[in-house]
Amino acid sequence: MTFSIDARELVGLLGPNGSGKTTLLKAISRALRPKVGAVYLNEEEVYRMKGREVAKNVAVVPQVGGVGFDLTALDVVLMGRHPHLGRFELEGERDLAVAREAMKMTKVWHLAERRVSELSGGERQRVMIARALAQEPKVLLLDEPTTHLDINCQLEIMDLLREVCVKRGIAALAVLHDLNLASCYCDRLMLMKEGRIVAAGSVEEVLTSKNVREVFGVDVLVKRHLATGAPYVVPLPPRRAAPAGGPRVHMICGAGTGSRLMKALVEGGFNVTAGVLHVLDTDHEMAAALGLSTVSEAPFSPISEQSHEANLEMIRRADAVVLTSMPVGYGNLLNLKAALAAAESGIPTFVVDDVPIAKRDFTRGEARELMLELRRAGAAFVSSQDELLRLLDELKAKSPAEVPSRG
Amino acid sequence: MTVDRGGGVEAKRLKLVAKWATVISILSICLILSMSLSSMVGPMPMGVEKVLGIMLRQVPVLGGLLDRCWTPQEEVVVVQLRLPRALSAALVGMALSAAGVVFQGVFRNPMADPYVLGVASGAGFGASLAIVLGLGLPSLGLIYAVPVMASMGSLLTMALVYLIARAGGGLPILRLLLAGIAVSSFFSSMTSLMLAVAGEELHAAFSWLFGGFPAVRWELVYVAAPVILACLILIYAYARDLNVMLLGEEQAKQLGVEVEDVKRRLMVSASIVTAAAVSVSGIIGFVGLIVPHMMRLLVGPDHRILIPSSALAGATLLTLCDVAARTMLRPVVLPTGVVTSMLGAPFFTYLLARSERLRRGEAA
Repeated sequence: MTFSIDARELVGLLGPNGSGKTTLLKAISRALRPKVGAVYLNEEEVYRMKGREVAKNVAVVPQVGGVGFDLTALDVVLMGRHPHLGRFELEGERDLAVAREAMKMTKVWHLAERRVSELSGGERQRVMIARALAQEPKVLLLDEPTTHLDINCQLEIMDLLREVCVKRGIAALAVLHDLNLASCYCDRLMLMKEGRIVAAGSVEEVLTSKNVREVFGVDVLVKRHLATGAPYVVPLPPRRAAPAGGPRVHMICGAGTGSRLMKALVEGGFNVTAGVLHVLDTDHEMAAALGLSTVSEAPFSPISEQSHEANLEMIRRADAVVLTSMPVGYGNLLNLKAALAAAESGIPTFVVDDVPIAKRDFTRGEARELMLELRRAGAAFVSSQDELLRLLDELKAKSPAEVPSRG
Repeated sequence: MTVDRGGGVEAKRLKLVAKWATVISILSICLILSMSLSSMVGPMPMGVEKVLGIMLRQVPVLGGLLDRCWTPQEEVVVVQLRLPRALSAALVGMALSAAGVVFQGVFRNPMADPYVLGVASGAGFGASLAIVLGLGLPSLGLIYAVPVMASMGSLLTMALVYLIARAGGGLPILRLLLAGIAVSSFFSSMTSLMLAVAGEELHAAFSWLFGGFPAVRWELVYVAAPVILACLILIYAYARDLNVMLLGEEQAKQLGVEVEDVKRRLMVSASIVTAAAVSVSGIIGFVGLIVPHMMRLLVGPDHRILIPSSALAGATLLTLCDVAARTMLRPVVLPTGVVTSMLGAPFFTYLLARSERLRRGEAA
């Protein structure tokens, strides 16, 4: 594998346990010689360099661990000066100044004379980062710097890392386990699996549900973080295997109102389709994650005639149609008309009415009008999703011919 | 605003060298006093002025200026018998304590002592072999047979342990420990075999195994001193590497320590130091284990002060134990090794209890 990191850049290294992340860090830091291959630092092979020379350039922050004997925080940070000192040389004023500077930056200077064994996990990690900074390195390697820390400490450490990279012009490579933490703080990401880099690049390029499934083997939704806009990964609970091929149910939903139903129906053995859904909509991502056939529309554009037609086509083939209590605007008004068409053509149509239409009508009454028409056309109004699921189960029982013979 | 105690911390750190110098001076004075005391006591007690006078008299040029206030017999007793004995005790105490610091540091294990790698049992085997074969009898003119065989035995075990433990270019700590245990128990049983077949020599062999200084001569000091001092200087050169290795071998590597080289050099020097000490005195236990702990409680874990202060304190302690061994049951002279454990163990227990109380006091 080949990769490079630039100064002022924080790169996140992600991957499942045992994928070789820590081994990679050790190989770079000269702690574990690789059997094949080479690591270069400024075009020089690190295993031909003296350990001291490498340590002047590359510093490592290890996983949080215990420290033997009773060393003080300052003792530990001053050990970062080891590669810069001669054999019988004592730490001088400059070394102390470097150590103080590093400890002030990581906000542990006030703990200088405390024993490291008495410090909390977060404080200890800051001391270790200060020690790495005292080496005055160009490259900083971190092995799970936030593991075992509470959420507050995690954010503080990541903020600190960003600051360190920018202010000291350091290139940092951090092994991380929290995908969202990595997404928020890293400039670039690398995804590793079985000793190989599967994906590398910007956060958006790397953190896709496809990559995450390939590397970690889990289904996730990748959304946008509300405040930062960074990709935000939401794990989906594992799908329970259910025989497909039951009655065909078409979902008309949006804005996340159909996600739970979709999953429940798929697990209940229904053959679920959906549409029209906007790309980037939560329900769209859910449908994609469940592998449903879906009629899609470009984000934030009104439903086109074409999509509407495709949707009607899908509805004609359905045994039942479900309309959720989604918000209705001019962009998706056609979806209500599609539901009405279904009811009028005699397909059993269920309307989940757990949120009054008045509260989600953004069409100055047009949606409300259509809802009344739906009621007149004989659509079944249900008060909750659970009630709907009960009704659909009855429907399934009534049509034994369509109960799957598979399995 | 919080008060920045920073200036204080830095100043304190920069004054560390002065603090270390004070510690070393105090310990050196203690050592000189204990060696003087050692030269004063015995079947022919002498006052401190006589002993110091005799000692100074040995110094060239300056010695000629002194007036004699002692008899020639007294001078012979001090110079030929008591001084080499005091010096040997000091050297052995120094060697064992410094080696103890090294082994505890490298193994990162407070239970380690200079004998973990089997040096003592190898030396014991060599010495008892020499004794049982009668090589140690003065009549044969081979007065150094026992120390020579002891050092050969200890070097042999050392070599064996390293050969067994060496794997894939490195020296894994666990393999070293296990190899040490295996080789050690083998040579211990060989020593027992020697003792089982020994006749009249049994007493001589036992007293050697208990450790002591019954027959030290200057010649032995002349040979052992340079070896021990040279190795101690080499060990001290790696004091800061040892500090860094307290963080673990991997982190030490990442901080630029050539861990494998350092470990090998330190362990070989510490083993040679131990072998030299054992050859002089026989097997003296406990000093190499407790002195490093005592000094860690007093001066902290930094090896740059821990090594020299342990060496000096170990020298003082063993000299005083030797004085006790000669005086406690006078006229019987006890093996010094018996006294070290007898006095050392309760004292160490006291120190442990005290440090625990101090720590609790801090927490409250």
